[in-house]
Amino acid sequence: MNAIVEMKSMNKFYGTHHVLKDIDLAVTRGEVMVILGASGSGKSTLIRCVNGLEMYQHGRLVVDGFEMPVEADRRLGGERELAQIRKGVGMVFQQFGLFPHKTVLDNITIAPMRVRKKSREEAEATAMKLLDRVGLRAHANKYPGQLSGGQQQRVAIARSLAMEPHLMLFDEPTSALDPEMVGEVLDVMRELASSGMTMMVVTHEMGFAREVADRVVYIDQGSILEIGKPDEFFDNPKNDRARSFLARVLKH
Amino acid sequence: MIATSIKWTRHNLFGKPLDVVLSLLVIPGVLWLAYTITDWAFASAKWDIVVQSLRVLMIGVFPADQAWRAWTASAIIGAILGAGLGCVFCFKPHHGLVLLLVPVLLLIVDGGLENALPATGIIASTILGWALTSYVPLSRKVLPAAAFTGFIVIVAVMAPPGVGLWGGLLLSVLLTLVTSVLSLPIGILLAFGRQSRLSSLRIICTWYIEVMRSVPLILVVYWIWILMPVLAPQWGLADVARGMIGFTIFYSAYVAEYVRSGLQAVPRAQTEAARSLGMSEFDINRSIVLPQALRVVVAPLVGNVLDIFNSAPLVFIIGLTDFLRAGQMILANPQYGDRTFEVLSFLLVTYFVIGSMITYAARKLEDHMATGTR
Repeated sequence: MNAIVEMKSMNKFYGTHHVLKDIDLAVTRGEVMVILGASGSGKSTLIRCVNGLEMYQHGRLVVDGFEMPVEADRRLGGERELAQIRKGVGMVFQQFGLFPHKTVLDNITIAPMRVRKKSREEAEATAMKLLDRVGLRAHANKYPGQLSGGQQQRVAIARSLAMEPHLMLFDEPTSALDPEMVGEVLDVMRELASSGMTMMVVTHEMGFAREVADRVVYIDQGSILEIGKPDEFFDNPKNDRARSFLARVLKH
Repeated sequence: MIATSIKWTRHNLFGKPLDVVLSLLVIPGVLWLAYTITDWAFASAKWDIVVQSLRVLMIGVFPADQAWRAWTASAIIGAILGAGLGCVFCFKPHHGLVLLLVPVLLLIVDGGLENALPATGIIASTILGWALTSYVPLSRKVLPAAAFTGFIVIVAVMAPPGVGLWGGLLLSVLLTLVTSVLSLPIGILLAFGRQSRLSSLRIICTWYIEVMRSVPLILVVYWIWILMPVLAPQWGLADVARGMIGFTIFYSAYVAEYVRSGLQAVPRAQTEAARSLGMSEFDINRSIVLPQALRVVVAPLVGNVLDIFNSAPLVFIIGLTDFLRAGQMILANPQYGDRTFEVLSFLLVTYFVIGSMITYAARKLEDHMATGTR
């Protein structure tokens, strides 16, 4: 089994609130998995568990060959596995998360220099290549505040790629953008998918999901209700709640 | 020109009935006050006392024949402050001309070189430092090291006649500088300690901050002054050093609170983004959170420096002669008994000028730090 992420009856609680219920899911290398669901269904929490931004309490989560410690173990200092996992997993956030006091170039080079101990020259050369790839080479020396939302999100993608991740997580990457900027970010993500990157994407862009995803996962109230090929899921959802969800989102 | 000012006056001062009443009451009052003060300042006040006692006001009871040591130290401080200003606020020739007015004025009023010469030296080195960092960006990089060396030199130059003799405005400024510089790193560590995951560290830091914030400064200074010789008799710390320690211990708690409010202002998303890149908690705090936090709290931190400067007179409790105390000493001389207003006015104006310069520099610093972020 060539899985990069493997969840076995994973459970997460916020206090007494059961957020993720017995999640079983495997992501194979090179796969693009889109996670759909209404807001509050737990889909963001699910992918935030993959790089340890959220802790889970029961079950098992293996990422890239490393076992993610459960909450009790992390309190005891299971931070080494966590650091190992995070080195190989990139994440793109809804609100970009760029560092406002650093230039675009410094935003991209800081992690490779600090974490991978690359030299400045090497890190900057890689950064310029990545900026080329997302079409922002000319903006290298600007500050994030001088860029549009779409441009900032493309910088954020380049910043994650600079760590040469094996897996990219996208947490609603286009939800904070003006409609006319959604396209440019989706184009970059499309290009990334076709280059063979493994991706887990939480999004409300149904067109993107249908076109790019290898598999679609539908989550409701913390449980996975349906996993399947996008065409099957969109044309012929088996679950009632999935059907009513699609009816609601596709109407607009 | 006149038409617009009449229009402005009518619009702003005599617009509504209430405005008219207020203006008729306030404007004559202000005019009368201005007239009285000007009349006193230029006609009846005898400023010669200030000029004659300038050395005591500036450097306290430091021996007159050793005064060059204190003037050298002042010149170094001037250079450091000027260089610091130059990093955020570019020097222009007219600034230099305004500053040079001080020694020229002294020369005219005093008629001798005794005060004008040191003043020229101090002003000149300030301008030199200011211009250097304004025009040679490379010099900004070595400023911290240079300032540290400068401070060592100050102590070395000033020490021989006896540390107990330091005083006057020089002591106030030194105390303010040392306290501000030392309390910043300590305050930052305390602020992080207060947020630490280690509960023992968190409790210690919280207690420290809360205790210091609920007691008076003068008590802390006095207490440290008494306690240091008991705790570390072999060090034989001078009063000045003990005073600086007391001030630093006290003001670190305030710095910690300001820094903490800055840390809380940094969005959680910043930490999460840095974590997702695999950065260590130390790197995240040092390179992502702290720079953004400090940017937010520049204004209160500079306000804190102003606070320290204005609290410096409290060191009289441990027998030090700061600027204000030096003024009192002069007045204690029966021969000058009728010059109270002159000396106190001079103190007031000097405190006001220095205080406004600090606030002005703070505004420049804020503008400087805001560039590029939004």
